[in-house]
Amino acid sequence: MVHGCHDNTKLYGASYFVLLGSRRPEIDKAVIMSDLLKDKSQRREKRAGKLPSEGSHGVRGKETTGKTKDSISTVSYIDELAHHDDNPRMAVTMENTYQMGPYKRIPIPAVTDILKDVLTSYLQEEEYEGEWSQKMTKTISEVIRARVKDLMIPRYKIVVLVHIGQLTGQSMQISSRCLWDAANDTFASYSFKNSSLFGVATVYAVYFE
Amino acid sequence: MDEYQAEEETAFVVEEVSKIIKESVEAAIGGNAYQHSRVNQWSTSVVEQCLSQLSKLGKPFKYIVTCIITQKNGAGLQTASTCFWDNSSDGSCAVRWENKSMYCIVNVFGLAL
Repeated sequence: MVHGCHDNTKLYGASYFVLLGSRRPEIDKAVIMSDLLKDKSQRREKRAGKLPSEGSHGVRGKETTGKTKDSISTVSYIDELAHHDDNPRMAVTMENTYQMGPYKRIPIPAVTDILKDVLTSYLQEEEYEGEWSQKMTKTISEVIRARVKDLMIPRYKIVVLVHIGQLTGQSMQISSRCLWDAANDTFASYSFKNSSLFGVATVYAVYFE
Repeated sequence: MDEYQAEEETAFVVEEVSKIIKESVEAAIGGNAYQHSRVNQWSTSVVEQCLSQLSKLGKPFKYIVTCIITQKNGAGLQTASTCFWDNSSDGSCAVRWENKSMYCIVNVFGLAL
């Protein structure tokens, strides 16, 4: 078995494959597919706010009344942007790389600095305002994702979550739990506050085996 | 890496996941009013219940579950997320639940192995 092609470690994103002479067609498919991860930024954006979801951009919502009379639940999942052009392509089957763990890990202090930098620069002097905050959350999360990608850590999938809210004396709890491999996967978060609003950004980095 | 499982079994099924989330939220904070002293315990139990149900699905996925519980106060809240992943195998689901005194937003991200 050829372990070869370690120069493929130049490629970031999960696009490793082992070259075997007899498997030509599969390799070509894998090469094309791998560009999916490498270049295209797969973007999924979600808006969940106090304002009812406008129904634009293909946000699907279902109203179902819960068992108790005074609780309502809405389900929404995002279908904006990235999905439509990718539909005809099938899932990629990755070849084995025999790599036991990540060669390079996520530098948490660097990521926290990125979050701090982005949040402070975008939110420092601003006031909370409905429409503006919607755009801001999307912009900030994209900027953070681009900067974390620039760190060029191979084989890590990134999830960025940004919350911007108004400060009116209400109480709020944000928590998360993850089912993952604690040795390789990690997260970073930062929260920012000014006189009228607060912003919380979290980045989860998950190793792709 | 031989995958003998069918495509359907290893994809992120949004309906299934959203059903799990709704059940977990109802069970954990169902008919309660917002109480600052208990909210910590509530969000922990929502998230842990979601996660244990998700792992019972037995799919080859890593999960990230986030929960936000906010008091209803007329304040605005915006949330956005973007992800760098493989669109064909990974997915996410968001559920927004409310009652008279609070909002609960749960996000689940599933990343394929």
